[in-house]
Amino acid sequence: MKGLTSIERIILESIENEQLPLKEIVNKSGLQEGVSFNTLQVLLIRGIIKFEKGLYSLNQYIPHNINEEINGSVAKKSEFLEIVEALVGTKADKILCFQKIALDQRDEKIFRAMLWNLESFLKDAHQKSRSHIPVKNRKIIFWALGDVQKVVGELIKVY
Amino acid sequence: MSLQKKIIDRYRILFPKDNLRQISERTGIQLTRVYRLLNGKAMKTHEYEAIENVIKESIKVNPNYSRFENLFEQASETLTNHEIGEIADYIERKIENKKYARTYIYPVFEDAIIA
Repeated sequence: MKGLTSIERIILESIENEQLPLKEIVNKSGLQEGVSFNTLQVLLIRGIIKFEKGLYSLNQYIPHNINEEINGSVAKKSEFLEIVEALVGTKADKILCFQKIALDQRDEKIFRAMLWNLESFLKDAHQKSRSHIPVKNRKIIFWALGDVQKVVGELIKVY
Repeated sequence: MSLQKKIIDRYRILFPKDNLRQISERTGIQLTRVYRLLNGKAMKTHEYEAIENVIKESIKVNPNYSRFENLFEQASETLTNHEIGEIADYIERKIENKKYARTYIYPVFEDAIIA
């Protein structure tokens, strides 16, 4: 499969730039031990991570084509859709708002400015807490803004 | 993955709550034999076929399966190569995610104690 599944991505994000044993990866990712182990084996076979002296770490010398496969736009799009689908489907505590809003030019500018502030706030918050909040306890946040006509046009676009 | 493990995994997905007796009743395989098979004992051809038949029958009555088959045909006729690729990616991801979870539930049949 091209790209990474969301589970594989969580494992990679749990390792980050550290060298970690399985137990620590399980703790950070929140995945069951068996799932974590299987995922690590797949990532090892693909050459994305290394295993030395009982510790897993990211392979710093991933070939360009594999790197592109993992982090390219096609892979990111699939991962994003997978996460959004799971979020929409989950019954757990969540905030989900989807509306078609009538925004005039002035209000759209205000909204974009608010988004800019929001992004800046989130960036700072993440920097401040990333070292002590493991991946499993982080929040998934996303936002979007698009024109109804253009988005609907995409649905019937002929390739 | 061996054919035996694959078919047991498939059975477990379709009938996750079946106990040994229920598996035996459904497949017609002797109870003690079911126990042994689940613990890694090599399967005989007629046992494999019995499980396969149960799976096939179960799939037949599943409306989503025939719907999926129909849609697959329609998609081949209607959608572009790019769009079919997107659907294939989607299905592939679903399968990959299931694989991780499934292997966890049934870790090592081969190493289990044989009765």
